Parts: sequence; structure tokens; C-alpha cells
Amino acid sequence: MASRINPKFSEELKKYGSVNFNACYNCGTCTAVCSLSTTDDSFPREMVRLSALGLENEIKESLKPWECYYCGECTTHCPQTANPGELMMSLRRWLTAQYDWTGLSGLFYKYLPAFLTAMALVLAGVLLFANSVNGELEKMLHFGHLFERTAIATVFVVIFIPNLLRMWYFTVVKPGGKVPLKTYFTALGELFVHMFTQKRAKECDDNHFRWLEHLILVFAYLLLLFTTVFLNWFSTGNLFVIILGYLESAFIFIITVDFVKDRIQKKKTLSKNSGPSDWFFVIWLLLMGLTAFLVRLFIDLNILEGNKWLYLFHITVLAQWALLIVPFGKWTHFLYRSFAMYFVKIKSVYPAQ
Amino acid sequence: MNEEREVLNYDALVVGGGIAGGEAALNLANTGYKVLLVEKDRSLGGKMILLSKVFPTLDCSACITTPKVSEIARHKNITIFTESEVTAIVKKSENNFTAQITKKPRYVRVEDCTACQLCEKACPVSVRDEYQFGLIGRKAAFIPFSIANPKAAAIDIENCTLCGACEKVCPTHCIDFTMETKYYELHAKTVVLATGFNLFDPLLIPRYGYGQYKNVITSMQMEREIAPTRPFNTILRPGDGKVPDRIAYVLCTGSRDATVGNPICSQICCMYSIKQAQLLMGALPMADVTIYYINIRSFGKGFEEFYQQAKGMGVNFVKGKIGKIAEKENGDLILRYEDINEGVVREAEHDMVVLSVGVKSNPTVGKIFGRGELKLDPFNFVAQEDLLGSPSKTSIDGVFVAGTASAPMDIPDSILSAGSASSEAISYLIQHQEL
Repeated sequence: MASRINPKFSEELKKYGSVNFNACYNCGTCTAVCSLSTTDDSFPREMVRLSALGLENEIKESLKPWECYYCGECTTHCPQTANPGELMMSLRRWLTAQYDWTGLSGLFYKYLPAFLTAMALVLAGVLLFANSVNGELEKMLHFGHLFERTAIATVFVVIFIPNLLRMWYFTVVKPGGKVPLKTYFTALGELFVHMFTQKRAKECDDNHFRWLEHLILVFAYLLLLFTTVFLNWFSTGNLFVIILGYLESAFIFIITVDFVKDRIQKKKTLSKNSGPSDWFFVIWLLLMGLTAFLVRLFIDLNILEGNKWLYLFHITVLAQWALLIVPFGKWTHFLYRSFAMYFVKIKSVYPAQ
Repeated sequence: MNEEREVLNYDALVVGGGIAGGEAALNLANTGYKVLLVEKDRSLGGKMILLSKVFPTLDCSACITTPKVSEIARHKNITIFTESEVTAIVKKSENNFTAQITKKPRYVRVEDCTACQLCEKACPVSVRDEYQFGLIGRKAAFIPFSIANPKAAAIDIENCTLCGACEKVCPTHCIDFTMETKYYELHAKTVVLATGFNLFDPLLIPRYGYGQYKNVITSMQMEREIAPTRPFNTILRPGDGKVPDRIAYVLCTGSRDATVGNPICSQICCMYSIKQAQLLMGALPMADVTIYYINIRSFGKGFEEFYQQAKGMGVNFVKGKIGKIAEKENGDLILRYEDINEGVVREAEHDMVVLSVGVKSNPTVGKIFGRGELKLDPFNFVAQEDLLGSPSKTSIDGVFVAGTASAPMDIPDSILSAGSASSEAISYLIQHQEL
């Protein structure tokens, strides 16, 4: 199949946060110093080359951007300061936008005002809702809980499942491999291993602390989701569930504070170039943990009735998170990264072409 | 400093006694001008005198350098100061420069020394030989190297224990520990800067393991191993003295690399590596020589043919820069790189790795003049104010630049540059002569 070249691809990618990748002179240092790069899966120079040439289709078919866990070694040693690490990051954003059928991801990545407007609209929606129930805490809590469940189900069915199918189509079906159905089951283990251990991130860096932090954060987040949605943390009387929720939310905001600190200090390569999507993701996660913790604390101290603003704040953060950041923002890397490893496994057992 | 300064008068001061400075001094001297040639090292000849052969003709480097150096040394119009440094130059007016020169003591009266080497044998102190780039040792009383000029012993006072053994055996009694540093004030009418270059220090790239893995050496060390005056009389790897079968070259070590502050091309590494590869194929016919490169830059006269010749001889050329080097227990080395033609990461094992180190500027030249007087380029080479019109002219009228002090370049270009600098200097002298 003939390759299509998009001469404007560099400009397009700049909007997704790429820097200076056209300086690459193809020495391969990035690929050679990358601890995840193997003879079967060599990157990131290949992606730099494809990007420089504007070979969009090839990039769309590639899972390599998701195989990179951004330790930043390539950028540190790049003799041309072409910043391959940040290119991989911007390709992940671009791919997220390609997978998203609604087109909103791309819009939000490229135009910050659009995202800010959407955030404001959600805020307005929350305030209107609060007004409609006359600020009654009981009703707000009830609807808040209802909202959580509805939002999760909707986002899953309307956004994630179609987007994952698109990802599957672009990366597995379109390149034309004949994959036996059985492989989808045998490779399934890969999906869950990567989803719940992020073990590649551990191989990525000699600093295992970052991997551990991230792992704890993922588990704390997923458990808090489960605790609030299914165990009804804010209304439960079960002491175990109450303490569990406290622990989870505390872990979330402590770890995210560290992540925010890294992004402010810019000492590590991976936190030097933070895009708006990175900031919103980590700060909103921090706010989620913090406000959830405080809401429950206020319930336990019996002062939430007098401080309804806190719950309103929490529900705003939650709504913005669930309706914007999760479906159209950085949250999706949780799914795409693990599915990418699943698809890589599937593709590795293709019958020889 | 209140030292008594002896006053000297010359037409021209040439700073640096390498091949460019020597050539410029000769041209000036042959035209009848009195030249003071100041060299910081113990011998003339700079880096070229230590090389094996030169590209692309494979002429013997020493056979070109030594006659030239002898000619300089014997020239009636040239006075040579070795182990000396020009610490300051002030331009008083046109045709009127004052330079401060410091001459360190050699502790040997050069005119009396016969280079019999008895002092070397008597000296009990062994240190690494910097003229063999650390491959072997030397004594503290020593002749710098066999083709040094002046060929006379010198005392390395830093390492000398002052035991007096050399003094006792010296048949001409030329060793004199009472020598002191001398200070001179020079009045000269023009100045030629030929301060040369520094080699890149590969310790700045720890992932290549230089200084940690014994069988990772620099190209200058390999140059010594294949030179006619070579220390081992064969090619050995330093780790265990084994004759290497698989030799790798890592091009662009410290060149074209912004992470070490040197994003420019050194212009010589491709060709000297190809030259060394050809010489190695001759010295070790069974050895595999592999050159890992980003781009082969064979742009000069006869260079591309020289490159093709190396390919024809069986030198392996692999496109891909070495990312990192690891050492095996037996001292062999594992090189990780991306094979650019295939687009895949590979690892290759070699017995010995040669880092083709790049050319860095010699920053001392900037310190000779008053602050900001001598303009340097962004990489601290002497700026060429009129690169296309008069490439030897610097920002100071009457001060000219020759050879690699202005930019990385090969030997033929250095000689050309020295020719240009000397003729500009002569032209300046004539234009401003007192009538």
C-alpha cells in the first residue's frame, strides 16, 4: 500500500506538545540507550523518523508510542537535543485523539480554551443542579452517588468501548494480519498483567520508586472508585470501609502532591515539558483525593451540613474529572497502555506474512 | 610579579610550535624576519609528530614532521622557546606588541645533552608516559620521545624525588637542578596564533566506559600503537595484552553532540579512523575492524576514494551511533547500537574499542589578550573576522591565526592556513614598516 505523507504533520504534532524532533540526524542513540527497546521492538528513533516524514498512517498503526514509559534516557543523551522522549509523549496524545471517535480529545489537546470552556460548562451544570435541589445536602449526596454510577457506565459504553475498538482496528486489523480468535484469549493475561502491575515502567528506569508510587496511586484510585461507588463510602456506617476510604484518598493526594512537585521542579526529564493535559490530570486527581478525604472527615465530624460548599467543590471536581478528563484526557492512558501491550502480544503471534 | 624580565626584540612572535606554528615561523623566517617561536611542550611538532601515518596518502607522519621540525630548529632567523608560555600580549600601537613570556626550567642544559639516555636508566621514578598517552611508563628523567626536538633529556620535576642519580651518571654534566623559571618581555611587530586544539576527554561520556574498561581506548592511543615509534611493537589491548581480533571504532565521540557542549563536526575523525582501520588491516590481517558511524564525511581531495579503499579492504562500516558499552568478565566489550539501515537495536561484541575522540578548542588562547580583545567563536576557537576574504585575520589587526586554533581541520588545511597566516603577517609587517 502506498504511503501517504502529510507535510503538515510536524505542525500538527507541535499542538500536541512535541519539541524540536526535526533536529534528529538519525544516529540511533535514543534507541540504543532505551532500556525497553529490543531487536523486535526498536524505538523511539523509528517514531521520530515517521513523524519527521509525516507518515501518519504508519504512526496510527504503531503501538510503539505506548510501549515507551518515558524514563527520559533518550532525551538526556540525544546529541541533537531533539527530545525523542517528549515526541513519544506527544504521539501518545495524538494517538489518543485519533482513537477518540468524538474528536473531543483532539479538540481539547489542541485548543486549551475549548477545554476550559467545557470545564466551565460542567461547573455551571453542577451549580444549576445544586440550585435545583435548593442546596439540600441529602439530595446532593444522593444524586452525587447516582451520578457516579451513571457517568462510569456511560463513559464506558459510549466512549471507551468504541475507542478501544477503533484502536484495535487501526493497530491490529488494518495492518492486515490474520489473527486466530484463540490468540485473543491466550494473550488476555498480558492485558491484566500490564493493567495492574505496569511492569514495563519498572524495567524502564533504575529508579523503582517512581514505579512504586505510580502503582500505589493506580490501586488507591481504583479502590477509592470502588469504595465510593459500590460501598457507598459517604453514607456507610461500616468502620472498615470508612478507614479504607480514608487511606485510599490520603494515598492519592500524597502521591499526586509529589508528582505535582516534580512537574514544578522540572528536575527529571519526564517532568520538564508538562502540557495542560498533564497538569489537569495530576491536579484534578489530587483534588479528588483531597476533597473526598475532607468530605468524609466533615461527615464524621458532623460539620458537612454547615459546609455544603465542600461537597459542591468535590462534586464539581468529580464531574469535571468523570465527564472530561477521564474520557477525553490523560486518564485514557490507563486503558491504551495495557491494551497496547495486549495487542503487541497478539501481533507477535501473527502467522508469518 | 616583580621578577626581572629580560627584554627581547623580534619581528614576529609565533605562539605554538605544532605543524601550523612551525610552518608559519618558517615562512616568516625564510622571508628574512626574525621569529620567536614559543612552544609550551618539551618538543616541537605538536600532535602531528606523534601520529602514525596521514590520510589520505598514508605517508609516514614522522617522516614529514621531523625534517620540517629540524629545519625550524636550525633556522638562523628562528629562536625557539620550549616549555614556555605566552602569558599576556598587549598591542601598544600598529607594529608594536609587547608579550610576557614565562620559560619553565628543563633542569637540563639542552646544548650539552647528547641524549645518551643514561639518566633515564638511572632514574628510579616511573610514571605514565604522556607522549604515549598512558600506554606505557617513563622515568622522571627522560627524553620525551625518540623523535623529539630538541632531542634532549628533561627532568619532570613534579615527579622527581631529587635523588641525584641522574646527575651522577650524566657524562656531560648537563643536568642542573639550580635552573629557575625565566621571565621575558618581548617586543614584536606581529603575532601568529597557532595554539592548536585539545582532544575531547571521553571521561565526559561515562556510558562508553573509558577509564573504567581497560580495553576502551582513544584514537590517539591507537595512533601510538600503530606509529613507527610505537611502544609495544605490535597491537595489544591494554587490559590483558591480548592481540585484538575484533576492533570497533566509535565515531563522533564528543563531536556533533550537544550533550557534551560540542555540537560541531571535528572534520578529521572519519578519515583518521578509516586510516587507522586500513593500518590495522595491515598490522593484523586476521582482525575484524568495524567502524560505527552516523555519517561518513569524506569530503576532501582523495577522501572518498580512501573510504572506498577501506571498504574494499574489508573494513566493516555500520551506520548507527554506539549508545552504550558494557564490559564482560574477560574484558571483551558489548556495544549496543541501533542498526540504522535495519532500524533495529543490536548488540555486538568486540575485543577492543577505539573512541574516535573529537577536536575541542584550546581555551588558553583567549586568556593571552585583554578581556574581549581577541574575539572567539561560540566554541572558543579564534574567530575569523573575514572568513572568506582573509581567513587568517583575527579581531586584532596584526594578530593572525593559523591551523586548528581557528577551527577543526586536517593537516593539509592547517598547513594552508599557516601559509595564509604567515603571508598576511608579512604583508602587515611591510605595510607598517617604519620608513
